[in-house]
Amino acid sequence: MTVDSKPSTITVGVLALQGGVVEHLNLLRKAAGHIASPAFTFAFVEVRTAPQLAQCNALIIPGGESTTMAIVARRLGLLDPLREFVKIQHKPVWGTCAGLVMLAEQASATKQGGQELIGGLDVRVLRNRYGSQVQSFVAELELPFLDANASNAKGEAAAGERTFRGVFIRAPVVEEIIAPGDGSEKGNGDGAGKGGGRSVEVLGVYRKAEEGKPGEGEGEGDIVAVRQGNVLGTSFHPELTDDVRIHVWWLRQVVEAARHGDLVVGGA
Amino acid sequence: MATNLNGAANGSSNNDDFTVKAGLAQMLKGGVIMDVTTAAEARIAEEAGAVAVMALERIPSDIRKMGGVARMSNPEMIKEIQAAVTIPVMAKARIGHVVECQILEALGVDYVDESEVLTPADDQFHVPKHDFKVPFVCGCRNLGEALRRIKEGAAMIRTKGEAGTGDVVEAVKHIRTVNAEIARARAALAAGGELAVTAMAREIGCDAALLKQTAELGRLPVVNFAAGGVATPADAALMMHLGCDGVFVGSGIFKDAESPEHAAKRARAIVKATAHYTDKQALIEASIEHGTAMAGISNAGLRPEEKMAGRGW
Repeated sequence: MTVDSKPSTITVGVLALQGGVVEHLNLLRKAAGHIASPAFTFAFVEVRTAPQLAQCNALIIPGGESTTMAIVARRLGLLDPLREFVKIQHKPVWGTCAGLVMLAEQASATKQGGQELIGGLDVRVLRNRYGSQVQSFVAELELPFLDANASNAKGEAAAGERTFRGVFIRAPVVEEIIAPGDGSEKGNGDGAGKGGGRSVEVLGVYRKAEEGKPGEGEGEGDIVAVRQGNVLGTSFHPELTDDVRIHVWWLRQVVEAARHGDLVVGGA
Repeated sequence: MATNLNGAANGSSNNDDFTVKAGLAQMLKGGVIMDVTTAAEARIAEEAGAVAVMALERIPSDIRKMGGVARMSNPEMIKEIQAAVTIPVMAKARIGHVVECQILEALGVDYVDESEVLTPADDQFHVPKHDFKVPFVCGCRNLGEALRRIKEGAAMIRTKGEAGTGDVVEAVKHIRTVNAEIARARAALAAGGELAVTAMAREIGCDAALLKQTAELGRLPVVNFAAGGVATPADAALMMHLGCDGVFVGSGIFKDAESPEHAAKRARAIVKATAHYTDKQALIEASIEHGTAMAGISNAGLRPEEKMAGRGW
């Protein structure tokens, strides 16, 4: 966690109010090794306060309990700074599980009286889509956006794998894309590198393998990964695996954003 | 501080299952799990920011006072609590009571606490926890006990402390013991390699492979919460300071609370202190908000047979 100011430093924060913080920091450090460049270095930091958030060029909101995170963030006066970070400064933000819930504009199956959200993704998430913990599961996911990534990654441990081990724990899913006039209900999943778009792209769908209730929803499976402009959300927990591919892919976009000046790269 | 335990290391037949079990505990880190006995109390806990609730019939201080045999809660009460909140609902089963655990699993609780706070049902064996899809949390007083439970399939550990007393001294003793023994295992591994670890495993009565993994990680291979006597925001912060991943608060929220509003304040204060245990200003605010704590019973005044921590092995 050294802030190094030789080259420019890209500071990536993990919101550390509660939940799987260390797991993300570990994978980020591992992923950084795949994106070596003399032009910049990474600093990975825990974020608990508004001043700490202000230091960050990008942020991960980890898994945890979204109700707890919302309550703690509100008491700290952190919700508005987070909303500004995501929606006004448009800095890269990635939410996993509870983080996806926090980044949605709407959520259903929330606690009595609802819960506060940061927003940024024009979607409505359904909390605890699969029920209680005994319905939690691991499933191999097809994530086409990682294929493009693998071709220019050199010798990653996991490169060449066709699927991603998706760990779903009391997981939410995107039940509806709510952007008015947005046509891309069903993306082809290959949104990587297009950049700049502000409509919701579907990056991953989970279809239950066998004996799935056929008539369920549109029968098209559940949306478990989405991106809208600077905001990425996943239902599952890459940080509970050793697979760095999504972290590498996301860090590349953080770097790309820095290069295009969407970021103020902080050295001081 | 990696906590990704390879399920194979503790004999889990299915690595994915153990990832999911231990993973839920990882998502609770930095949070507070509160004992509740009614749906209304569960709502107070949820609104205060609890990461989960523990459903039980009587809070430990009342079990202590009222005596008798303490058992799994009435399923009807558990269902009411499940219907009232969206956060995970845990429930306690008696040590070794396989059928209580099966009932709790069928009810769809999110975690089972095989707990010494209830009256043990089996004086020889704990529940074989790999057989269940629902994950288990178990208490420990030392590293050997923690690793025996993990070997049986526990996906989360907590200190036993001394429940229902409001006296944190035993919880402190247990986490200090675990930490000291982990340090010893690391030293043994560094100095004497696998043979030294195996000798230590024999001495503390645990699986050698799990002890080696613990020594390599420098911490328990699953999430470890504090429990048993945590009564105030400062107590919760102390347990975090000693390296716990989060805290259970049993009687400390609702015992001797002047009103539901006072209980809610206590709950909020303990959540705040746990999330910001290094922030002195937050701890001052939390301590003020908390108000008067449960009266409590000094652990030193308890006779050995009055202690719950000695149940289990």
